[in-house]
Amino acid sequence: MRKPLLTLPVLFLGLSLACGGGSGSGSTASPATPAKSFSYQDPTTTGWRLVKDASSTPTRLVLDLVGPSGLKTRGAGFNLVAPKGVHFGTFPSANPVPDLGAPDFPINDTGVYELKNTDNTGDPLEPVLLSGGVKPGNKLTVGIFQKDRRASAKDSGVPLCQIALELDPTAKLSAGESLSLQVVKAKYIAEDIGAFSPTPTVEMVAKAKPVDFTLAVGQLTTK
Amino acid sequence: MPRLLSPLACVLALGSLPALAKPGTSHPTLAPAQRTRFQTLQATRVSQVRTQMLADRSRLGLGSRDGFAVQSAFTNTQGEAVVRLRQTYDGYRVWGAQSIAHVLPDGSIRAEEGGLQSGISLEGAPRLSGQDASKVALKALAPKGKLDQAPQVEQVVFPARFLGGLATKLDPSTGRPVLDRALTVYAKLAEPFVWAYEVRVHLQNDLDGARDLVYVVDAKTGNILRANDISQRLTGVTPATGTGNGYFRGTVSLNTSQMADGTYALYDTTRGTLPNPNLQYYTPDGSGWSATGMQVWWEEHDGSGNPTWNSYLFQSNPTNTWGDGQPWGQLWGQEGEINGQTSGVDAMSAMATTWDFYTKVFGRNGLDGLGTTPFAQVLSTTYTNPDAAWWSVGSFGVYLGAGTYPANPTGHLSMTDLDVVAHELTHGVTSPNWSQFWVNSPGYEEAGIDEGTSDFFAQMVKAYANRPSGADTTVPATGADWEIGAGVNRGTPIRWMDKPSKDGRSMDGWFDGIQYMDGHYSAGPMNRALYFLSQGASSTQGDDHYSPYLPMGMTGIGNDEAARIWFKAVTEYLIPDGSGGITFAQAREAAIASAQDLYGTGSTEDIAVQSAFSAVNVGLAPGQAPRVSVRFAPWRNGDYIETNHFSDYSNRQIFPKGQTVIPRITVENASDTAVTWSIGGPSMYRGSDYSVEEGGVINPDGSWTTPNEMAWHSISATSKADPTQFAEGRVFLIDMDTDMDLEPDAVDMAGIAYSWYLSNALNPAHSVLEAPWVDDGDVSFFVDAMRSTWPAN
Repeated sequence: MRKPLLTLPVLFLGLSLACGGGSGSGSTASPATPAKSFSYQDPTTTGWRLVKDASSTPTRLVLDLVGPSGLKTRGAGFNLVAPKGVHFGTFPSANPVPDLGAPDFPINDTGVYELKNTDNTGDPLEPVLLSGGVKPGNKLTVGIFQKDRRASAKDSGVPLCQIALELDPTAKLSAGESLSLQVVKAKYIAEDIGAFSPTPTVEMVAKAKPVDFTLAVGQLTTK
Repeated sequence: MPRLLSPLACVLALGSLPALAKPGTSHPTLAPAQRTRFQTLQATRVSQVRTQMLADRSRLGLGSRDGFAVQSAFTNTQGEAVVRLRQTYDGYRVWGAQSIAHVLPDGSIRAEEGGLQSGISLEGAPRLSGQDASKVALKALAPKGKLDQAPQVEQVVFPARFLGGLATKLDPSTGRPVLDRALTVYAKLAEPFVWAYEVRVHLQNDLDGARDLVYVVDAKTGNILRANDISQRLTGVTPATGTGNGYFRGTVSLNTSQMADGTYALYDTTRGTLPNPNLQYYTPDGSGWSATGMQVWWEEHDGSGNPTWNSYLFQSNPTNTWGDGQPWGQLWGQEGEINGQTSGVDAMSAMATTWDFYTKVFGRNGLDGLGTTPFAQVLSTTYTNPDAAWWSVGSFGVYLGAGTYPANPTGHLSMTDLDVVAHELTHGVTSPNWSQFWVNSPGYEEAGIDEGTSDFFAQMVKAYANRPSGADTTVPATGADWEIGAGVNRGTPIRWMDKPSKDGRSMDGWFDGIQYMDGHYSAGPMNRALYFLSQGASSTQGDDHYSPYLPMGMTGIGNDEAARIWFKAVTEYLIPDGSGGITFAQAREAAIASAQDLYGTGSTEDIAVQSAFSAVNVGLAPGQAPRVSVRFAPWRNGDYIETNHFSDYSNRQIFPKGQTVIPRITVENASDTAVTWSIGGPSMYRGSDYSVEEGGVINPDGSWTTPNEMAWHSISATSKADPTQFAEGRVFLIDMDTDMDLEPDAVDMAGIAYSWYLSNALNPAHSVLEAPWVDDGDVSFFVDAMRSTWPAN
């Protein structure tokens, strides 16, 4: 059962790059003062956005993924490229496998999405679609999805998941630098994925396509 | 969660009996009269064991619904009652759960309990019937021909830890490996134990060939939970003594029978007291033949050598003189005539010698300890490759190939030489019935232990065949040449036990990953350890009998003691349970336990066993410093994949195809833990393992750029500190790119979500296995591969 590798899907049209200004790791005229913490201003838009969570600290910026209020979805994922000096933070994994060398996850579940089988098997090891990693180029890729289509879609206007950014002390950033975060891919699963049937229907096949969305990112600077 | 009980042997005390077994106390072989005294106590002792085990359920973590059924019992040459028990739950067998108890001469009981399963809690009755389960198994198997025997179905309790996994086979149209759906298991189990049915199918017809398969079917869902191909590759008569002219054995005296019509048959009613399970399906012809009594059949072909799929007992001989002493001349259509009889003579003589070896040296009732009749079918081209031989577990018989020489100049002679026959019949000792079979297939170290055991006892039978007159109860010190197959291969051995690597393929020492080799080649360390145990090892570097793992060499203990130690180990300490779980390390422990039992702790024999296994990189001899260890460790720590596919995935890695990854390896006992990675490994000899691929590129920094091929792959790691230590592992490459944007990332999980648990995936690309369905296997594989490939920060 081979996939047609040359069939390129339509991607990226509708994606925005980072908003909130910034032009990469800028320079300042004054003598450099070593950066000690982050400053983050939330986007002003009301669509999909990354907003600062109250659990943030000066050196660890926790960002919530929030969608448009009233839009019901079944999960979302995105890829985010950070500049040198920004290190992605982790959260404790719900199902840790210490010996695999990756004890934590770069994404945190806020409990909005219903990740497990609605049959409630009670299996504490049941795998869920919550995962992420940092790919070459300091590109964070994260996703959180409801695997059971029988679960209802959830309102997206609340924190759906979290990521974390940390200041990399070895990068020797200067205070006042504007740092550009670039979203290079973002998709969600819509509420309407066709009427449920254990055997696929034409309608279900047609609607089995994740929706691209524009993810707004706030202004990140060093202090 | 189910709890595996500690594998430590435990001593049970019977309240009314005086002494416990003292570790290290030897129990010498008894004279026949003394042994008979203990045999009369066997039934009582079996009952005592069962009573004691039941009383001890609480300590074992078992409940009131758990029980024990006696599978087999015998009294060994030391006067010990050896009782093999199956664990039951509400009276149903718990799949793969066994215990072996020894009642020592002083009445104390020692039990091996590591194979028991605690924590079983099942309510209700199976939703499916046994007939339903049989239909499920047959649908998966899809036999092309007719079944001569109805499948055997047994309701069991199935532990989730034995769930099967991915199996692959060769696609003849492309030459590439593809999923073997008949043997692949995709099911998952949310519960640690479920009701299930074990369905055993014996196929033997011209469309399917001969195969023995076991399926375990979930009694609630009808899902197949495990599938194993366990194929291992004639009243009224008067006993008579005939003369045989064999090619390999020369002129020999044969136990035959005079049939009702006054003619003779290669039918020995003095060996075998229970009927053969396969021959019972044949109809007596009035000659006096029955399925009880050792016998040899020949396979019929037309004049061109094409099989007619008929076979016949060697019979209707008016003279009781058999064979012409010449090699099989490929006189097709004349298999039952004088030249064909020569193969029958060699087979019959070899079977009788092997039978006597087990009966007289070890006091065993035939091969299986029950006296079940074995049979041989010679000049076979159907049920076995003509240049091979095959022991059929289901048939309790051996199929011996006709050989292809001289038509094929590199082929073999008729496969009826003593070592070949003794090797195959030994499978009848180690796999005595369907519910206690050895798993003899790549993927399990047990396969090498099984084949090595057959090779070793073939040598012991060879020595026994040359015993002095009257010395029937011991194995002579000489007479074994430690070569396998030299006769049928016209002088050149097929395998060497003293230095297995002489064949260019077998291994001289154990390594992590040896289980992936064919059992005939992974047998190398087993063969060499048993050779060293008997004959000793050299301390001269470069000598064929020198081992770098035991540079000081060792002195052997001789054939008889080596044979007794290993026979006791395989019949009394190792527990084949159908899961393939016996390892070389366990084989060593079993041999040490046997040696200590027979000759005492710290005895010369005890130390020799430890040295012999050390010499093949299994354990250490007394006083040796720990070696560097390179392993694909079982590091999953009870995650979903390990829990649901324990035997297949515990130490295997899952990565995306077409990406650069860093495989995981565990190096111990070395300050320098660096390794050199390489593609493939010993199991991939000339690409022979079609179920696994070699591919990709090892980069200068040690990372691996995986090939764009969804399949099992083989990779190896060699210690830089000690290049004699290496490991071969298995990695499954999956297709993470479910949205086909050519970038595997976390967003791809959306594809899995769209198709999860539909009976057919909305898009085949949604499956990371490129299968037409998607379930928690895809979820767990995806998350595991992502975690293993890209760091969390």
